[in-house]
Amino acid sequence: MDAVERVRQLIEIMSSNDLAELEVDEPDLRIKLRRNVPIQYSPPPGLAYAALPPQGSVPPQTALQVPGLGGEPGGPVHDNTLLEITSPMVGTFYRSSSPGAEPYVSIGTEVDPETVVCIIEAMKVMNEMKAEVPGTVVEILVEDGEPVEFGQVLFLLEPIAE
Amino acid sequence: MFTRVLVANRGEIALRIIRACKELGVEAVAVYSKADAGSQYLELADDSVCIGPAPPAESYLNVAHIISAAEVTNVDAIHPGYGFLAEDDTFAEICEESNIVFIGPRSDVMRKMGNKAEARRIAKENRVPVIPGSEGVVGDEDEALGLAHQLGYPVMIKAAAGGGGRGMRIAHNDISLKNMLALARNEAGAAFKDSSVYVEKVVSPARHVEVQILGDSHGNVLHLGERDCSIQRRFQKLIEETPSPGIDSDLRSKITRAAVRIARAVNYTGAGTIEFLVNPEGQFFFIEMNTRLQVEHPVTEEVTGLDLVKEQIRIAAGEELTLQQKRVEFRGCAIECRINAENPADGFRASPGTVRRFNPPGGRGVRIDSHCYSGYEVKPCYDSMIGKLIVHQPTRAEALACLRRALTEFTIEGIHTTIPFYRDLINHGGYASGRFDTHFVEDFLEGA
Repeated sequence: MDAVERVRQLIEIMSSNDLAELEVDEPDLRIKLRRNVPIQYSPPPGLAYAALPPQGSVPPQTALQVPGLGGEPGGPVHDNTLLEITSPMVGTFYRSSSPGAEPYVSIGTEVDPETVVCIIEAMKVMNEMKAEVPGTVVEILVEDGEPVEFGQVLFLLEPIAE
Repeated sequence: MFTRVLVANRGEIALRIIRACKELGVEAVAVYSKADAGSQYLELADDSVCIGPAPPAESYLNVAHIISAAEVTNVDAIHPGYGFLAEDDTFAEICEESNIVFIGPRSDVMRKMGNKAEARRIAKENRVPVIPGSEGVVGDEDEALGLAHQLGYPVMIKAAAGGGGRGMRIAHNDISLKNMLALARNEAGAAFKDSSVYVEKVVSPARHVEVQILGDSHGNVLHLGERDCSIQRRFQKLIEETPSPGIDSDLRSKITRAAVRIARAVNYTGAGTIEFLVNPEGQFFFIEMNTRLQVEHPVTEEVTGLDLVKEQIRIAAGEELTLQQKRVEFRGCAIECRINAENPADGFRASPGTVRRFNPPGGRGVRIDSHCYSGYEVKPCYDSMIGKLIVHQPTRAEALACLRRALTEFTIEGIHTTIPFYRDLINHGGYASGRFDTHFVEDFLEGA
C-alpha cells in the first residue's frame, strides 16, 4: 500500500472515531494528523524552534508534515494545538513595562502579532517582546522577575479559530 | 574565592572547568546551545542556561547572551575555556565593565599579544629571538616582495589577528607571493575582521616547542616547563608531550627564561603559553603568545602535579602564587593524543553522529578528558575534538608503552575517530625515537 493510500486510511480512522489528533511513528511513515488546525504550519519568524537534529531523523514520506513543537530543553508537556511564545534571548522576564504598571497581557487577552506581551531585560536594556502570532493567552509559564533562557516557553496561546 | 563561576564553553573543556570549580567549592553555571541540550556534563554543573541555537555565532560566541546569562545567574566570574571567546579582548573588556571577573589576562594585555605583529615586536624588545620577518604588518605588495627577496623564499604570510595555525599561507616565489598575499588578506578580513598581515621566513624543518606560563596579580611569573607539539597536521596539533625529546637542558633553560621575560614584560596574569620554533641547529624563535589555557595543558599538569584550571581561578580571584620557580618539580614524561571525530582513511573528514559505544582505557598513568559517553551525539557544527587521552609515566619509553596499551583498549564505535591513526603513528620509528619535526605527520601520511 502506498503512502497516500495509508494516509487516506488514517484520515478515515480519525473521522469515524471522531479523533482530534492521530500520530503514527513507524520506520517508513511518520505523520501527525490534526483536525481543525492548518496542517501546513510555517513558524513565523521570531519564534525560536529547536534546531533539527543533524543525524538520524527519518524524513517523512508524505507532504503532510507537522514540525514538532516539543523538544525544547525541559519544555513543558502541553496540548499540541497551542502556540508557544519562546524567549529569543537570555534575560529577566517582566510582565509589565514598569513595577506597579498593568501587565501587558493576562490569561484571556487576545493578541495579534504586533502586540507586546512582555519585557525581557538583558544587560540593563528592556526589550519589548511581540507575540509574533495571533491568539488568546491561555497560560503564562514564567513569573514576573524570573530569569529566562534562550528557547524557554513564556506563553501558551490558543490559536484564533478560522 | 568566587562563589559562582560561569563556564562560557562546551564539551570537554567545559567539563574540565566544572570539575575544577567543584573541587574548589565554587558553584559552576554551564551554558549550552540547543544542540548541546541533554549533554550529560551539564548535569554536573550547579545550574545551566540555554544561550542560543546551534550555530556558535548565535550561542557560544554570542556575547550578549553570555553576559546576560552571567547576570541572571549572578556569577562572580566567567571562565572562557579555549577557543570561542577565550582570546576576545572585547569580551574581556565587556566583562570588566559589567563587574564580572574574566578568568584570564586583562583585556589590554590580550589585545597587545593578540596582535601577532605587535607580539613579535615585544619579543624582540625583550631580547627574545623572533623568526626573521617584517617589522610589524606589511603595507603593499611591493613591500612584501622586497621583504621576501631579503629573507629568501619560501616565506609565510600570517594574519596579524590570527593565530592558532589559522590565516597562514606559504609563498614560494614572486607570483605565489602576490596571489597568497591577496588570498591571506581576504581570509583574514573574513575570519578575523582584520586583513592586516605580516611576513616571516619559513623556518623548516623545525620543532614546535611552547612554554607554559603562570602569572599572578602580585607580579609573580613562573614557567611550568615546555611542551613539544611538533606532531601536527595542517598546523593543528595532534599529539603533544613533555618534556620535549628534541631539546637539551641548556636550550630548555634558554627558552623558558625567554618565555618568562616576555610574560613579565607585559605583566601577564593568568595562564598563558609562549610558542617557539626550534631549528635543527638548536636555535629558537618566538612565534606567538596564546593568552589563554591551551588544549594540551594536561601534559603539564601531569608532570608538575599542578591543576592549571584551579590556578587560573585562584589567580583571577586575586590570590598570590605561593609556588616558587625553584620548587616546581618536573617528574616523568606525559603524552597527550587529541581524539577527533574524523576519518583518517578519508582525508580526516569530520565524522559526526551517535557514539554507540564509548569505552575509554584506564589503569595507572592514564587520564581521559572527555565529555563523551555511550549514546552521545557528536554534532557537526562544532570542533571535531571529542576528548583527550593523556598518559604519564616515569620515562618516555614507558609512556609510549602505556600509550600503545591505552590506545588498544580505547574503543569508540558509531563514529570514526583518529584512534586507529594514532595506533599506527606511535609505532613509527621516527616518532618512537623522538626525532621528529613539524613535517612528521605529512611525511608519515605520504609514506603510509
